[in-house]
Amino acid sequence: MKLLAVCFVIAALPVHGHVGSPDVFFEGNAGPYRLLITIRPPQVVPGVAEIEIRSASPDVRQIHIVPLRLGFKGAQFAPVPDVAQPSHEDPQFYTGALWLMATGSWQVRVDVDGAQGPGRISVPVPALATRVAGMQKAMAAILLPLALVLCFGLVSIAGAAVRDAMLDPGKRPDPARVRRARIVMAVTAVLVAVGLWFGNSWWNLEAGFYSRIIFKPLQLKASVDGGRLVLQLEDPGWLNRRTDDLLPDHNHLMHLYVIHVPEMDLVWHLHPERGADANFEQRLPPMPAGRYALYGDVVHANGLAETASGEIELPPTAGSPLIGDDAAGTGPPVANADYTRTSSPLARGYRMVWVRGEGKLRARQPYEFRFRLEDGQGKPADNVQLYMGMLGHAAFVSADRSVFAHVHPSGSVPMPAIELAQPENPHAGMAMQSGLPAEASFPYGFPKSGAYRIFVQMKRAGEIVTGVFDAQVEP
Amino acid sequence: MTPATASASASATASASEDRDRAPQNVPWYVWCSVAAVTFAMVGVHWDISWHRSIGRDTFWTPAHIAIHLCGVLAGISCGYLVLSTTFNPRSLLRDCSVWIWGFRGPLGAFIAAWGGIAMITSAPFDNWWHDAYGLDVKILSPPHMVLALGIFAVHAGALILILGQMNRATGALQERLQKMFLYVGGMTLVLLTVLQMEITSRILMHTAHFYYLVALVAPPVLAGVARASRFKWAATTVAGVYCGFVFLMGRILTLFPAEPKLGPVYHQVTQFTPPEFPLLLIVPALALDLIWRRTARWGTARQALVSGTVFLSVFAAVQWPFADFLASPEARNWLFGTKYFGYYVAQGSLMARFGFVGAEQGSAFWREAALALVAAICTSWLGLSWGNWMQRIRR
Repeated sequence: MKLLAVCFVIAALPVHGHVGSPDVFFEGNAGPYRLLITIRPPQVVPGVAEIEIRSASPDVRQIHIVPLRLGFKGAQFAPVPDVAQPSHEDPQFYTGALWLMATGSWQVRVDVDGAQGPGRISVPVPALATRVAGMQKAMAAILLPLALVLCFGLVSIAGAAVRDAMLDPGKRPDPARVRRARIVMAVTAVLVAVGLWFGNSWWNLEAGFYSRIIFKPLQLKASVDGGRLVLQLEDPGWLNRRTDDLLPDHNHLMHLYVIHVPEMDLVWHLHPERGADANFEQRLPPMPAGRYALYGDVVHANGLAETASGEIELPPTAGSPLIGDDAAGTGPPVANADYTRTSSPLARGYRMVWVRGEGKLRARQPYEFRFRLEDGQGKPADNVQLYMGMLGHAAFVSADRSVFAHVHPSGSVPMPAIELAQPENPHAGMAMQSGLPAEASFPYGFPKSGAYRIFVQMKRAGEIVTGVFDAQVEP
Repeated sequence: MTPATASASASATASASEDRDRAPQNVPWYVWCSVAAVTFAMVGVHWDISWHRSIGRDTFWTPAHIAIHLCGVLAGISCGYLVLSTTFNPRSLLRDCSVWIWGFRGPLGAFIAAWGGIAMITSAPFDNWWHDAYGLDVKILSPPHMVLALGIFAVHAGALILILGQMNRATGALQERLQKMFLYVGGMTLVLLTVLQMEITSRILMHTAHFYYLVALVAPPVLAGVARASRFKWAATTVAGVYCGFVFLMGRILTLFPAEPKLGPVYHQVTQFTPPEFPLLLIVPALALDLIWRRTARWGTARQALVSGTVFLSVFAAVQWPFADFLASPEARNWLFGTKYFGYYVAQGSLMARFGFVGAEQGSAFWREAALALVAAICTSWLGLSWGNWMQRIRR
């Protein structure tokens, strides 16, 4: 019997490439130099991106940074690069600021000069307007009185021009002239009001233009048809974005995280295939009834990544076994989160350990999140394999689901974007097949304080395992 | 001059009346300040636009921004001081030839220029907030930029009125000197209004009727107003000459200085400051207007405006349209005419880079726009002449 379930797209969560996590984290080699690069894109475009670079090598002499369009068809020249400034306290930490002048996909090219010669690396970064700032009260308190002075001043100047300006020295205005001045002041007041109305209309028009470039993420409209999850990418209308230009990421057009909510105790990392009708389809695994949050990562042809999101209410599903790169994991309900727990039990006595240290986690700080696979004796697991070209995949999800980020050991940038930015290095960001360690690290920083759940997936002996951890992030 | 020798016993009233009888023999300091202010503003504005076309990235503290805001500061402080000294110093020479606003006394031009200074100061935080809210805009026509432009325009207008108040009371050599300064500020006012239209009157648009409509909105009122108020027979030609000379010189001087883009995407390699486009040939219709006005001096304002607007538009179109062809030709791609220079952001395939033109409006749309341009030229000529008539009577 054909099972038809109605889907409910309850809410599309705002913000781009990942959800609520705009900063870019990338770890890679610029020639012989290992760098951890953090890029904080502007919230308005054109705007200024903040760049932070930590060099693992002490022999770096100078770092230059420059922004370039990514995926741009046509000739472009590089502007004069900026010199990233080394920190006084930490000479291996560099900062800089770059202007991103247009909405879309960009790359920050990092040129390193040091004792081992030059090195270069390019990091994709999206420039997407995400907000319109309201006027702060302090600013309004400054501008409003000035505006009043200007308006009333103009009316008074017009009156004085008629009343006094044409009098010979020493003479006083007669009543007729005073009366005429009052009429002119009244007319000027009307003209000022018209000017203000025109200015306000123009302001609204400009704000309207700007609101059109504010990023509106794709939404996932989900339904279930015969045991298959059907996903439709719905474009709410943003510039000239297309949905038929997606690039495969680890051979998949979409990486879909399905998370049982609000408990967050069940997670699936699935890879729906695109059908003839442009919709994505996925055979559902066995799933209990409940509500599920959906996060679908896609990458456009210009390297711009975004996460389409939605939710669906599902009936109990018998489903089919997971195949290929699809994986599932379980953990305790997030309501029972233990923020001190650093070990996540796995099948057959294995476990995944979060090597996290003692310090508190702070928002907007870049960290290396390190996770190790161990066997029953606490030794590093053997026979570790690549999972879709990577040592691991991690998803950082806030308990309130306002943040979702899919992160690789190379960082938060998807592979197709890295390949566009570093065409000379087809293996950039990917691990090699042989001699794999049991430990994977993920560069990432939480965008805000609060409770987070971390799903970490690695592969050993042909089996994809999922560790589930919790983090409490301080401001 | 101060009455340094006045004895302590002399009455203040007698001394003040003595001072008032003494007319200034030199151009007063505040007139020089206002002339300097408008010059700073126009140098700064052209420098800033060139900065954005060649380097791109800036801060509040670039020399160009400092030059612009020096205009507001200079106008604000000098005119503020003038108003306060006229108000509170009973021996001020200007006390009897000042206007009264909100309990303060001073020349009308000083109040207008001070208003401009306040508007310019207001535009700074407004523009800063605008960047935070809507991004770092790189266009001339935005609300906060228009507040700044209004302020600069008011400083120009204040300078004109300030000079005029003196000029209309002066005689002989002083009047001639003030007249020259008045024409110079008039020319700078034309520079200001044309620079505001820079984005919408570029070379590629010179074969559209709309271009002539836009120019007709700003050039005739300045030429007519300043010419009428100055009473100089070659006033319009002089004003247009100041405009052409200033824009030409700015363009040639700016290209002497190296600059490189610090923003991307960069579609044109830039190695020096990008100059403004070659000035519009306003000097030709201005010369025609001066000649016409000599023969129509006894006509009424409306009749004069009808002829002035028609002459302005027809002569301007007759010279600018073919000149645009020349500017698009290889012969103009040199240092002198400057069409070889581009902003770094000008795309290689754009009309500007290909030396092309936006096509003229088709059929009736062209004639409708041309008629609109004619009406605009006549109306703005009337406005300018009326403004000039009013300015002739300014005494304070």
